[in-house]
Amino acid sequence: MLSEQRIRAILFYLSVLIFFIGLPFILSFALGYKFDPRSLKFTKTGIIVLKTQPQGASVYLNGKLLNEKTPLTVNELLPGTYNIKIDLEDYYSWLADIDVERGKVARFEKIMLFPLRANVKQLNKERLSTFWADTDEKVIYYINQDDSAIYTSDFEGERYRRLANLMPIAPPAIKFKLSENKEKLLYFNKHQVAISGLGNHLKEKTPEETPFILNYPEDAIIEAFWHSDNYHLIIVTNRRIEVVEARPQAEPVEIAVLNKKNPSIFYDTNTDTLYFTDFQKAADGNFYNNLYKLEINSKSSILRDIIKIKPAEQRQLQDKD
Amino acid sequence: MSQKKKRILEIIPGALSWGSIITLIMLSILMPITAAIIIIVFDFYWIIRTLYLTTLLLMAHRKLSRQKNKDWLADCQNLGKDWSNIHHLIIFPVYKEGLDILRPSIEAIKKCHYPKDKIILVLAFEERNKNSQQNAAVMEAEFKNEFFGQISTFHPDGIPGETRTKGANATWAAKKAYAFLATKGVKYENVVVSCFDADTCVEKEYFGCLTYHFLTTSNPHQASYQPIPVYNNNIWYAPSFARLVEISSSFCQMIESMRLEKFVTFSSHSMSFKTLVDIGYWPVNMISDDSVVYWKAFLYYKGNYRVVPLYITVSMDVAYSSNIFKTVMMQYKQKRRWAWGVENFPFLISGFLQDREISLLTKIRRGYHLLESHVTWAIWAIVLTLIAPFPILFGGRIFTEMSIGYNLPKITGLLLNFTFGASLIWIILSRFTLPKRPADVKWIKNVVMVVEWAIVPFIILILGSTPALDAQTRLLLGKYMEFIPTEKSRKL
Repeated sequence: MLSEQRIRAILFYLSVLIFFIGLPFILSFALGYKFDPRSLKFTKTGIIVLKTQPQGASVYLNGKLLNEKTPLTVNELLPGTYNIKIDLEDYYSWLADIDVERGKVARFEKIMLFPLRANVKQLNKERLSTFWADTDEKVIYYINQDDSAIYTSDFEGERYRRLANLMPIAPPAIKFKLSENKEKLLYFNKHQVAISGLGNHLKEKTPEETPFILNYPEDAIIEAFWHSDNYHLIIVTNRRIEVVEARPQAEPVEIAVLNKKNPSIFYDTNTDTLYFTDFQKAADGNFYNNLYKLEINSKSSILRDIIKIKPAEQRQLQDKD
Repeated sequence: MSQKKKRILEIIPGALSWGSIITLIMLSILMPITAAIIIIVFDFYWIIRTLYLTTLLLMAHRKLSRQKNKDWLADCQNLGKDWSNIHHLIIFPVYKEGLDILRPSIEAIKKCHYPKDKIILVLAFEERNKNSQQNAAVMEAEFKNEFFGQISTFHPDGIPGETRTKGANATWAAKKAYAFLATKGVKYENVVVSCFDADTCVEKEYFGCLTYHFLTTSNPHQASYQPIPVYNNNIWYAPSFARLVEISSSFCQMIESMRLEKFVTFSSHSMSFKTLVDIGYWPVNMISDDSVVYWKAFLYYKGNYRVVPLYITVSMDVAYSSNIFKTVMMQYKQKRRWAWGVENFPFLISGFLQDREISLLTKIRRGYHLLESHVTWAIWAIVLTLIAPFPILFGGRIFTEMSIGYNLPKITGLLLNFTFGASLIWIILSRFTLPKRPADVKWIKNVVMVVEWAIVPFIILILGSTPALDAQTRLLLGKYMEFIPTEKSRKL
C-alpha cells in the first residue's frame, strides 16, 4: 500500500503536470488561438458576440444553424467575413456580414428584434384631440376638445376616467400644460389662455378651481408656462413677456418687450428661469439676435414686485391675525 | 552578520510582495495583455494549488478521524520500551489571561489519560501583571499535589536583550524548570516540553500520543511534535466572521501537517527539553517564538531537524470581541502577528550564511519555501480579488475588443468557481471538526454555520492578504512589531 507521502508526491507531480498541460490550452483560448490537430499548429482566431432583445433567437453562421441561441458567443473563428442571420419566430430576421479579425472581438450586443406584427393597442376610450404622458406619475392625460374634457389612465390604458371638464376656447388649444402640483391645467390658442382645475369634475369648484380665460386680442401667444409656485403664469407673446396670476381678472405684468416676433424660448422649471432670444440694437446700430436669461423666482427683484401672496396664503395670514 | 545585511534580508519579502503588486498594477495600465496573461496563469496556478491542498486536507482529516479516541497509552505500553522515565514539562506562558481562561486548560491536563506523576506544570506569569502573584496562589492551591510538580514563575520586565514577547517569558520559565528538574533528579533528556498558549485545552490522549511518537521517532530529540490546533473552546459562541477565520486556520495547519518537508511548528507544540536547552531556549526578542524555535533547532542540528505531526487536536479560543468591528480588528491583529513570522526569513538566511555544513540545496529549498509562502500569503487575495479586474478597467476599449479582454473575466470567473467548489469540501469537513453543540445554543446555529460560508469572499478580501502585507511592510521599513497578545475571554 502506498504511503501517505508517496500519495502526496504523486498528487503533487500530477498537479504540476495538469498545470503545465492545461496552461497552454487556457492561454491559447484566452488569446484567441485555435489548435489545429491536423497541422499541429495554433492559429489566431476571432470572436463574434451576439446579444438580442428578446433573447433566445436562432443564429445561422454562413447558413449553418448553430446549436446555441442568443445571447451567444461564437469562438475560434478564423479571420474573414461571416454572414450572420438571427431568426426568432414572429420577429423580423436580423442579417449582417461581420468581419472577424485575428484576436479581436466583434461585439453586436444591442440587436433589437422587431415583431412582424407590431403590438399596437388602443388606449383611449373616448374621442381624442391630443395627449401627453407623465412618466413620474405613470399616467396618461387625454384631451378631448370636442366635449371639452380631460381624461386619464395608466400606461396600459387601464383605470381610464374623466378627470375634469375644460372651459372651451376657440379655436381649439394648441398646447396643454399641467401645473407642477398636477392640480391645474393651462392651455392656449393664439389669443386666449385658459386655466382649469383638475379636481373631481362632479364636485363643486372652489374659487381657485373655477376655470377662467385670459384674452390677448392684440398679441399672438407663442408660449405659456407654469411658475413652480403653481400660481403664476409666464406668457410669451409675439410682443412681450408677461407674468400673470392664475386667477380671473388678474392684471398681467409686462417684464420684457420683445423685438423679435418668433423668439426661441426655454423655461427651466427647476430654477424658474426663462431663456429667450431677441433682437437688440448694438452700439454699431445694427440689430443682433441674442440669447437672454430672465430669472423669475422669489430671489429676483422683478418677481418680488410681481408675485402677490396667493389666496390660500392670504387666508392663512388672516387666520393667524 | 552586519546590520546592513540584516536589513537587506528584512527588506526582501516586503519588496517582493510590493514589487509583484505594483508590477501587476503598472502592467494592467501599460501592458494590459501581459497583465491579463499573468493573472490567468496565477488564477490557474491557484485553482490547481487549491485542489491539491484540499486533497491533502482530506487526507489529513481522514488520518485525524482514524486516530481519534485511540488509546495511545496502551500503544506506549505495547511498545516494549521503558517509558516510565519520560516526563512532560508543560509551560503555560500567561500575561493578561485570567483564571477563567487558564483553569480549563489545566483541568484538561488533569483529565488526561496519562500518569500525572510524570507531569510537571509550569505557570509562567509576567511579573508586570499586577494580578500574577494572586492568580498563581489560586492556581497552586487548586491544583496542589495533582502533578509530579507544579511551579509558578514570574518573568521580570526589562531584562537586557529581551523584548516583551511570549518567548522571553517561556524562556525564563524553562530555565526555572530546568533548575527544578535538577533538584528532583529528573534528567532533562527524558523530558518533553510542551509550550501551550494559556487557552490551550489538550485532548485526554495528548500526552500518550506525544510519548508514543517521542519513543518511536528516530532521533526523537531532533524533532518537534505538532498537534492540530483547533479553536473549539468557544466556537459555538463566536461570531461567524471569527469562527470561519479560525476554522480556515485549523485547516491550513492540517494541510501543512501533510507537507512534511515544509512543516514548521505553530502555536502550541512540544519538543525535547534537551534540545530546547541545547539551542538556548526560545528567542527572547522575537514575536514568532513558536516557529523561530524550530529554525533554531534546524540550524543547531545542521538541517537534521523536523516536525512530526500529531494527529490529535489541541483546542484553543476563537478570538472575538463584543462587536463585529472589534472582532475584525482583533482577528486582523492576530493574523498580522502570525504573519510577522516573516521575521524568520532574515533569521534563517543569516543562520544559513554563517553555516558551513547544511547542504546548499537544503538551504535554497527551505529558504525558498519560507519566502514563497510569505510572499504568496501577502499577494494572493489582492491579485485574485482586486487586481484581476484591472486590465479590463484600465486596458481601455482596445483591450476589451481583443479576445483576451473578452475572455479574461470569463476564465477568471470559471477558475474561481472551481475554488469555491473546493470550499464546499471545507464546509463539509468543518461540520466534522465541530464539538458537540452546547445545550444553550439553539439548533438553528447548525444552519447558520453552513450558510455563513457565503461571507468567505469578504473575509478573504479583509484578512486574506492585508495582514501579511502589513507585517512585511513593517519589516521592510524597519518598524518592528511589538508582541500584542490576543485578548481572550470565554464569555463576552
